Amino acid sequence: MRVPGRVWLRRRRALVGLAVHRVIGRLRSSPQRVVLSVLGVALAVALVVAVTGVALGLTAESVVQNDDTDFWVVPEQSTAESVAVSSGGVKLGDVHAVSERIERDERVDYATPVALSVVPVTDRTTGETEYVLAAGIVPREGQELFGLSTTPLAPGDPHYANGSYDGPWTGEAVVNDAAASVTNTSEGEELQVARTGTNRSFHVLNVSQGEAGFGFGSAPIAIVHLSELQSVTGLAGSDQADQILVSTNDPAVRSDLESLYPHTTVVTKRGISAQQASTSNLPLAVGLSALLSALVVGVLFIATLMGLEVSSDRATLGTLATLGFASRSRSLLIGAETLVVAVVGGLVGVALGAASIGVVNRVVGAQFGIAAVAVFDPLLIPYGLVVAAVVGVVGSVYPIYLGRRTDILEVLSE
Amino acid sequence: MSSRNQELGVTRKGVSEREVIASCESLVREYTRGSGGGWFGGGDLPTVRALDGVSLEVRRGEIVGIEGPSGSGKSTLLHLLAALDTPTAGELRVAGEDVGRLSERGRAKLRLEHVGLVFQRFHLLPSLSARANVALPLVELGWSKRKRRERAEGLLDDVGLGDRATHRPGQLSGGEQQRVAIARALATEPALLIADEPTGELDTATGRQVLDLFESLGEDHAIVLASHDQPTLAIADRVIRLRDGRVQGAAR
Repeated sequence: MRVPGRVWLRRRRALVGLAVHRVIGRLRSSPQRVVLSVLGVALAVALVVAVTGVALGLTAESVVQNDDTDFWVVPEQSTAESVAVSSGGVKLGDVHAVSERIERDERVDYATPVALSVVPVTDRTTGETEYVLAAGIVPREGQELFGLSTTPLAPGDPHYANGSYDGPWTGEAVVNDAAASVTNTSEGEELQVARTGTNRSFHVLNVSQGEAGFGFGSAPIAIVHLSELQSVTGLAGSDQADQILVSTNDPAVRSDLESLYPHTTVVTKRGISAQQASTSNLPLAVGLSALLSALVVGVLFIATLMGLEVSSDRATLGTLATLGFASRSRSLLIGAETLVVAVVGGLVGVALGAASIGVVNRVVGAQFGIAAVAVFDPLLIPYGLVVAAVVGVVGSVYPIYLGRRTDILEVLSE
Repeated sequence: MSSRNQELGVTRKGVSEREVIASCESLVREYTRGSGGGWFGGGDLPTVRALDGVSLEVRRGEIVGIEGPSGSGKSTLLHLLAALDTPTAGELRVAGEDVGRLSERGRAKLRLEHVGLVFQRFHLLPSLSARANVALPLVELGWSKRKRRERAEGLLDDVGLGDRATHRPGQLSGGEQQRVAIARALATEPALLIADEPTGELDTATGRQVLDLFESLGEDHAIVLASHDQPTLAIADRVIRLRDGRVQGAAR
């Protein structure tokens, strides 16, 4: 009784086509149960999309907290980790000029080069050498880096002086608690650089708790003007920095940034988040809980309603059996119908989920002044559809079971 | 002899020499009354003998009528001939296959390839057009879409419904629906056509049209027709009379 492959495939295709046709037919004639099934799956998928969107948003927030930078231009060899850690590898050159050029774009709020370097400083009490991670930037009002406000620093980069590095030395620094602790300095005191060939020091303007991603909670950090850090670390020669931070609300800026330097990569907040998602278990747990809830709700919904549909449509199943449709073909038909309904529900659900994310962001923005708490990643579209398909496949087991139990002779005698 | 055979010039002798499409010998079908088996089911449940030793032969080109009151076993016999059920005892062969030995899948294949069924209540799928309904068995046979369409349209032309191909059952009269059902039953060119009260839901004039269609089917099919209705049975070459599951007699 073996059927040739082509015939088998054609039969399966025709059965799926028949399933689609019947679902459409039912939507036209008696749509109540089908519409309810679609809505059931749609709600489940919308839930998973919306909650996953919030989880993604939480992940993004937890990694780059209060950091307004949307894009990071980094050398190609760098990874997302090196956005925060000076890798000592390839650096970007002529960064002041490039940043100024980026800032001239109206879509860009600000751009600043960031040089990261471990700098030896002298402990004021013991005279011993300690090390802090110094970040050199071109400060702006209201800017934050590693949770430290750069507002106390004089805006701009006066010492740079159009590349001559002979402008006024501000010597200003903002440090975190850890840096203040290891160097025994406090606000208003000097931080002496312990490097041969320089007697430069930095004046601590502000000490705050700060907070950095990537487990830097207790790392000593100091933020200073870029050109001054370049001067004490020897990076001034070619105006070097590790990356350029660009703050913008326009995603289209990315393509322009990618062509700035050869062999560089533009990393977004989301890109960093994706690589660092595992560092935060809460969003992952939230996303998984939503997925499991959606699967259970969706499967129960579609199994019940499609089961009722099969029970009320026993005459059709009986007719197909009398015509010679094998039990397997009838099961495939029921399964395909359930899957079609689930996928339609998935499409509606993804749309509803996207709308929910928009609504959540609007409400949160209006109530708490936060720009976006949830993120609609385009990958949520295939994700939602896959969830719907899984709901359809698992949910089809019960209707198929009911279909197989249908007694043809009983149906014919009704 | 029916007017059809007179027209065709088929003699009794001529029919008796033709290929046997379906045959049964001492056919018995018993049903168990109530629900038994399972973990808590009772042991000895009473049985009802719906068919009791029926023997019959149906040859190609022949129309066999089956008559009898309700509960006489007409439907049981039709279900067995259509391989929808299996006998409790006796031998039943359809298109050369021993129905009692076939699996459910084997019986489905037998129905698909060799048996066409026409019901009193048409049993068309309401969401499909007349053309799609006729083409349904061809889906299971794995025919291409184009071939299915051509075959269904040809059959609808044959039953006089070429202009109703895109209509849904709800848009057709009872007679038209029954003609669509007959076209569907003929889609796979079955050797055996089984009709259970095919005119039961139709008025006299429409019923007559359907009977004319059965009569016009020619010599390629064997038709078994169950009915209470004498004008319907009148198209049969012979009529088997059933009473309490037994053959009480046959009339020509």
